[in-house]
Amino acid sequence: MYVGVDVGGTFTDAVLLEKNHVLATAKVPTKGGEELLISILEALDSVLRDVDPARLKRVVFSTTIITNFIASHKYDDVALLLIPGPGLDCNYFNFNAKTHILSGAIDYRGREIITLKEEEIEAVLSELALEGFNKIGVVGKFSPRNTAHEKKVAAIVKGRYPDWHVELGSRIGVQLNFPRRVHTTYLTCATYEPYHKFVDSVRQALVKREICADIYILKADGGTMPLDNSEELPVETIFSGPAASTLGVQALIPPRETAVVVDVGGTTTDLALILSGQPLLSAKGARVENRLTQVRALAVKSVPVGGDSVLKCSGNGIDILPERLGMAYCMGGPVPTPTDALRVLELTRLGDEERAREAMNLLGNVLGMGTEEVAEKVINMVVGKITSEVQNMFLEWEREPAYRVWEILHKHKVRPEMVVGVGGGAAGFISLVAGELGCRSIIPRYASVANAIGAAVAMPTLQINLRADTEQGYYIIQEEGFQGSIKNRRSFNKQNALDLAREWLIKRAQKYGVEVVPAEIEIIRQEAFNMIRGWVTTGKLFDVTIQTPRGIIERIGLGEDTLWLDQ
Amino acid sequence: MAGSINKKTGLIFFPAFDWAISPTHPEREERLLYTRDQIFEEGIMDLPQVVEYTPSLAAIHDIARVHFCVPRVEEQITEAHLIAAGAGILLVDEVISGRIENGFSMIRPPGHHAMRVVHGNRGFCNINNEAIMVDYLRSRHGIKRVAIIDTDAHHGDGTQDIFWHDPDVLFISLHQDGRTIFPGTGFTYELGGPGAFARTVNIPLLPGTTDESLHYILDNLILPVLNDFKPEFIINSAGQDNHYTDPLGSMKITAQGYARLTEKLRPDVAVLEGGYAIETALPHVNMAIILALAGLDYSGVREPDYWPGRFKETPERTKEVRRMVDELLGYWEKRDNYKPDPRNIRGNYYLREKEIFYDTEYFVENQVEKLRLCTDCQGYLAIESSVDSTYGRKGILCISIPFSACPKCREEAINLYLRQKGTGKYRYIYLQDKSEDAFMGYNTNNNEEWYS
Repeated sequence: MYVGVDVGGTFTDAVLLEKNHVLATAKVPTKGGEELLISILEALDSVLRDVDPARLKRVVFSTTIITNFIASHKYDDVALLLIPGPGLDCNYFNFNAKTHILSGAIDYRGREIITLKEEEIEAVLSELALEGFNKIGVVGKFSPRNTAHEKKVAAIVKGRYPDWHVELGSRIGVQLNFPRRVHTTYLTCATYEPYHKFVDSVRQALVKREICADIYILKADGGTMPLDNSEELPVETIFSGPAASTLGVQALIPPRETAVVVDVGGTTTDLALILSGQPLLSAKGARVENRLTQVRALAVKSVPVGGDSVLKCSGNGIDILPERLGMAYCMGGPVPTPTDALRVLELTRLGDEERAREAMNLLGNVLGMGTEEVAEKVINMVVGKITSEVQNMFLEWEREPAYRVWEILHKHKVRPEMVVGVGGGAAGFISLVAGELGCRSIIPRYASVANAIGAAVAMPTLQINLRADTEQGYYIIQEEGFQGSIKNRRSFNKQNALDLAREWLIKRAQKYGVEVVPAEIEIIRQEAFNMIRGWVTTGKLFDVTIQTPRGIIERIGLGEDTLWLDQ
Repeated sequence: MAGSINKKTGLIFFPAFDWAISPTHPEREERLLYTRDQIFEEGIMDLPQVVEYTPSLAAIHDIARVHFCVPRVEEQITEAHLIAAGAGILLVDEVISGRIENGFSMIRPPGHHAMRVVHGNRGFCNINNEAIMVDYLRSRHGIKRVAIIDTDAHHGDGTQDIFWHDPDVLFISLHQDGRTIFPGTGFTYELGGPGAFARTVNIPLLPGTTDESLHYILDNLILPVLNDFKPEFIINSAGQDNHYTDPLGSMKITAQGYARLTEKLRPDVAVLEGGYAIETALPHVNMAIILALAGLDYSGVREPDYWPGRFKETPERTKEVRRMVDELLGYWEKRDNYKPDPRNIRGNYYLREKEIFYDTEYFVENQVEKLRLCTDCQGYLAIESSVDSTYGRKGILCISIPFSACPKCREEAINLYLRQKGTGKYRYIYLQDKSEDAFMGYNTNNNEEWYS
């Protein structure tokens, strides 16, 4: 048996699954702040009411906890020690934290070009100690190519202040992007302590319920992480909500479909793409507090319209405001909303028809339009906003940069075959959106808890990035911050690089308690360059990224579950 | 500049990591690898001042508008060439539409040694990316006057050849003295055809020239000439082999020197040309150019072994540069009062003979170029070209009708094409009618005719 729990802004959902079937679902209001854990446990208790905890194999949580920590700035201040070296002035990125620039530089090949100055580091640390800092992010430009500077600085900090918490950029941001690495390291450092407390209390609560199943946390890329390991990289769990609904849809539709997931909420509609059965990852990392990070995330767009958005007259038209003042008018709310328009056009059975008509008339009277006319205008506006954003997402995906001839030649146009609606407000809009896009519309059974299903079926994902430079005779496993030497420099080839990466991935998987079938390891990127100096090959450069397979544990929808509300 | 008026700098980064002339050739997969590392690590693409584009492919038609590829366009290019040319075209569209302030096409393979007639690869180039942009600008956007400033260490002989007779294209090439480097041309006396005198300006520099002379030339020659010419569009052939670490060139220009050059020139689009110090120069110079285009502070971009004042100009070189600038300014002032050498005139035509060496594939092409001297337009061009042993003893005939051709020139050119199809004198005959945007070829062996 699997349990999935998704903590959303308004509701916390839970499901209990067994053998492709949903056994129980729960929906409880999410309590804010410190009481978040209460909501999680309430939902969990509800689906486990008649279940022997010993039968549970795993429990997966998708939580907004990190998002909440960051939004409310409930953490100690973090100081950044940056080693940017020559190049772009890093003030352009305004990291919005206490920042000290240290001397020193590493180049693109991982060679030291400017040395660190120990006395400078000592002076900076004394200053930070006086100011009361005890959380430090150390980030160097090109540190994934050579971790020596970051490690040296960390050793000096630990030597003087053993209690301080220090995070290294090279372990957190393994891709080449210094500003994103800095921001990701900052967030990791900032959320470490509150997240640790949260994980602890989850652990205690589960012990109290005698649940000894494997516990995982959902990540932004739709993979899971064991709860214990998630403490190393808490920021990876940010934005797992949209990932949860997308995976849920993946579990509820046939395999290999290309689909748009439309999650209509109260004031926002989240869009995600499933291309040939795989959720699309964002080309850039997740954007947190308006800055890009190196956190891998699904490509999700949030459109500021939802069932409860406030409608307001402006001039000769209607504005959809990005805010909510309560329920829809037809359900006793204070102002007209798109839900009222749906009710008038009989696209939903929610709420009271007379109140819905009244709501449309409030707008119609000002604009000199009839009840149905207003309702149609509103629905067209909402559907128009959603469809144009879907089209943009496909365009953006097509326009993602490519750096090889074959990639450019193989770029092709893909358009969705189905629009899948999830979320409370989906019912009325989905068929219209699908109509505009020329595809089928589907609202699967269990659409309202698709997010919790997504959490339940998500699988662990682990990555390894290897860089090998045979001219300099070293390789580096970026996730582990490990730097080793290559013994057989002359003969070291592409296959050796791949084998080495596989070895490390299996090792890492063991550490995370994840089973890996070597044959199923996916190669994400494999680059090999000959280094020619004066017409002679002097070495080779290899970059390899591999991961455990992406996917879901099982699909839902055999037997009676195949009943879809196909509109 | 760009940053201050909220319009972005468009970047196309196309390193063609799967394309090389040969495994150990300077034009190989590795060439832009370290540049990629540098610009990605700096997070340049995340800056609000920068927008990255994916290149699209140029059409065969866009290439036929400029070149006579023998026997056909498809046989002289690979997909990588279409992408490199397509990148320039895309940036042209974006600048003209006002969506970006300026752009940088960081692409491979380069193009500035490719001449009008293409029998093969010359100086690592098959088709001329900048010339394709210029004729696209004219054909699709109605732009007339364009300036190309070529700052590669090698003379941009291909671009010079293509616009030699064109008074509406100002071509300025600044390069290492042709007596010391490929292709061995680009001297001050190469000034353009009879109708386009001094619209070709060559500035040969002695080996070892530094930032100081470069900027003297910019301030005292290039910028004033540009100011007089008033181009509607400026393209920079941004070769980076003037850098002090380049293995092919022998100049002493620094990343800072390149950044200031870009800042002063303010090109609408810069296009990467040569530059083969792939580790020691390219990551820094490309960064410097991007930051300068985007109006960002580039003062922190410096090579690990550079310090201000490292390279000093010798008094002799300074004196020689000043003399040359005066000489070239003299030609520029006389640009509208030029009388062509009567020895080159036969009746109503101006003749030019050329011998063109293809260094990559090692053969020589012979050309006789005949320009109709016309008072109503710049005149059509007919080129006889032959390469020993490639197509037997017969040569080819290439006829080019300019954009602004008068009816008389156009009619005569078309009649020449029709007449020569029947004589059997040439192996292939081409008609490039820019005024009607129609480009055709004819194979006299099998009487096959095609449009490109």
